[in-house]
Amino acid sequence: MRRVSFFRWTLILVPCLVLFFMAPLVLSKYLVFILNLLAVYVLVAIGLNFVMGYTGQISTGHAAFLALGAYFTAICATRASSLPFYVLLPMAGCFAGLVGFLLGIPILRLRGFYIAMVTLAFGAVVSEIALQWSSLTHGDDGLRVPSAFLGTFVFDSDKRLFYLIQPVTILLILAARNIVSTRVGRAFLAIRQSETAAQTLGINLSWYKTSAFALSAFYTGVAGALFAYAMTHITPDSFSLSTSIDFIAMIVIGGMGSIFGSIIGAVILTAIQQLLGSLAEVQMLVFGIALIVFMIFMPRGISGALRSWRAAVKARKKQSLENTPKGEGYP
Amino acid sequence: MKATGRKAIFVIFLFLLFFGLVSRGSAAEVGVSADSVTVGCSNSFSGPLAFCGLEMVKYGAEIYFKQINDQGGVQGRKVIMKSYDDGYDPTKALVNTKRLVEQDKVFCILEPQGSSPVEATIDYLEQQKVPLLFPFQGLPLKGRMVFTAHTVYPREAEIVVDWMVQKKGFKRIGMIYQDDAYGYTYRDTATPRLKSMNMELAAQEPVKRTSIDLSAQMAKLSQDNLDALWMILTPGPGAMAIKEAKKEGWTKTKLFATGPLTDESFIILSGGEGEGVWGFSDWPDPVHSKKPAIAEYRAALQKYAAGHVPNRYSLFGYFYAKLFAEALNRAGKDVTREKLVTTMESMKNWENGVIPPVSFSKDSHAAEQSGFMVEVKNNVFQPLSGWVSLENGKLVERPLGE
Repeated sequence: MRRVSFFRWTLILVPCLVLFFMAPLVLSKYLVFILNLLAVYVLVAIGLNFVMGYTGQISTGHAAFLALGAYFTAICATRASSLPFYVLLPMAGCFAGLVGFLLGIPILRLRGFYIAMVTLAFGAVVSEIALQWSSLTHGDDGLRVPSAFLGTFVFDSDKRLFYLIQPVTILLILAARNIVSTRVGRAFLAIRQSETAAQTLGINLSWYKTSAFALSAFYTGVAGALFAYAMTHITPDSFSLSTSIDFIAMIVIGGMGSIFGSIIGAVILTAIQQLLGSLAEVQMLVFGIALIVFMIFMPRGISGALRSWRAAVKARKKQSLENTPKGEGYP
Repeated sequence: MKATGRKAIFVIFLFLLFFGLVSRGSAAEVGVSADSVTVGCSNSFSGPLAFCGLEMVKYGAEIYFKQINDQGGVQGRKVIMKSYDDGYDPTKALVNTKRLVEQDKVFCILEPQGSSPVEATIDYLEQQKVPLLFPFQGLPLKGRMVFTAHTVYPREAEIVVDWMVQKKGFKRIGMIYQDDAYGYTYRDTATPRLKSMNMELAAQEPVKRTSIDLSAQMAKLSQDNLDALWMILTPGPGAMAIKEAKKEGWTKTKLFATGPLTDESFIILSGGEGEGVWGFSDWPDPVHSKKPAIAEYRAALQKYAAGHVPNRYSLFGYFYAKLFAEALNRAGKDVTREKLVTTMESMKNWENGVIPPVSFSKDSHAAEQSGFMVEVKNNVFQPLSGWVSLENGKLVERPLGE
């Protein structure tokens, strides 16, 4: 029965994936560009979810990890032009991950508000370094990013970049899905529920909390590298506090502690940005109101609400089956 | 697996539903229809340059287009302007520009603002062969499809150095400059220019873009016994510099503002301390000038935005919209992007009544290559010179024509 089910889902999933990868052939270049940005935001949301959604640590400076990945890629691609993207992407992720690990160590003893303040300060420091270290980063004039390449094939258009960014994103989504299904993911959730209880169960708090930061930073660093390729030109202005707040809004709206929620949150953020493109101040108002509304009325986000709805439907179905007298539709 | 598969399909379906599987056809020329031409720009309507952006687009270009649309448009086509806010963020500028070109299908990009946001879009626009017309910034820009507006910073720097040394006899010139491409351009042009005259910058102090306190830099500069201090700053820090100079009791040193800084707004910000400040101006006085073309601008502003105060930014927007319309008209009914560019390259000595006659060529896509010196008197910039330019390396002055 399970094998038939797997076969059936594969029959549906594979054509959908084929259709998805045919999108650049039929969609406009701008929509393909938006899909690429969306994929970057999905990775950022997943990264942020590791630290906020799964381990309950608040990070208000996550744009800094995006900046680290982006600048690492731009600088290395410029100064070592022979490095292909499949070397640069993991290097950017590891660089950001290492910084995340080192940041995670000193903030281990902190809770709630204090972690938020430290990560906020971290974001400001990274932004300021990008601005002031102009000999390396070109300050607020920004850095041009050379195109990614594979042999002689150059990813120098949004449609070509689609075939780099989307597969990387899908692979990392699957990897994230696996991580949260393992002992590591269960340890993260246990820490979020109660650090005391988790410790009692033998979970090494220091190790897992620091690892969450490192993993989160790795994902966001890779997202930063892809962002740099997509934008072709990066400046410190692209990694501000408001960007970090947008990322938090994504996972609050989409659903904390959920990979699926990360995707929904990224789609909604991108949609709002596009619909309100000419009204930047209204955009900020909409985000702010959405954040407040969701935190009060839907704290588990859209994915949490969908899960609750499905559970309620299942429970009602079970109830109605139990209430049905034998002989009436009962096997 | 069941739940994962369902979620994956839902996600893919979400993408496809949201974005649509629609193939897009192409028009005869992008952005041009039988009765309209659509132009676009990404500009600052929020953030540090919001005032400039709103003035040049909403109270400049759009005012001009309303005026000509009411008169029947250009070659029977109304000109429509679409604009998005980038808040001086280069990332948003690129996203907006791609949206304008690929989704809104604009004919050209007209009057974007800011060196960094504009630089972020240039490679893309050249690749797409979309004209980039008259950005409000002063770095030299290279590109087949790029036409610049006011005098570029290196040319302005050369003119000002020559004028200060040859006309005013200044020996000790100092500089306080924004620590980015804007400031470096003036510094790196002035230094060799002065060296060719066996001189050098007597003092120089960089200022970070986000700085609001210039007291340390001004205190150092007050020790240098300068004839002139050249301020390569934005209005906020520029006003701070003037206030600090007043506080330090400067009497001998002349403060000199760059072209982008020379506007009444920074005089207002300095709280009336700007009396006697000199500057390089690209524009006649938008409020007091008696030139018919400037009076026409004021009348249009009064008609379509009654009560709005004229200023150099909205005059910029109005003037360059007018120049665009002139080029569009000359290109004829069957206009294309390429034809617009070649038409503009053939424009010679276009008399406009605002700035010296505009000429373009294959090798020169710069609308302005001159300016005139001004001094603040009673909170108004009064002319100190005629139109000053460099021709064959020599300083040339022509009457202002007021």
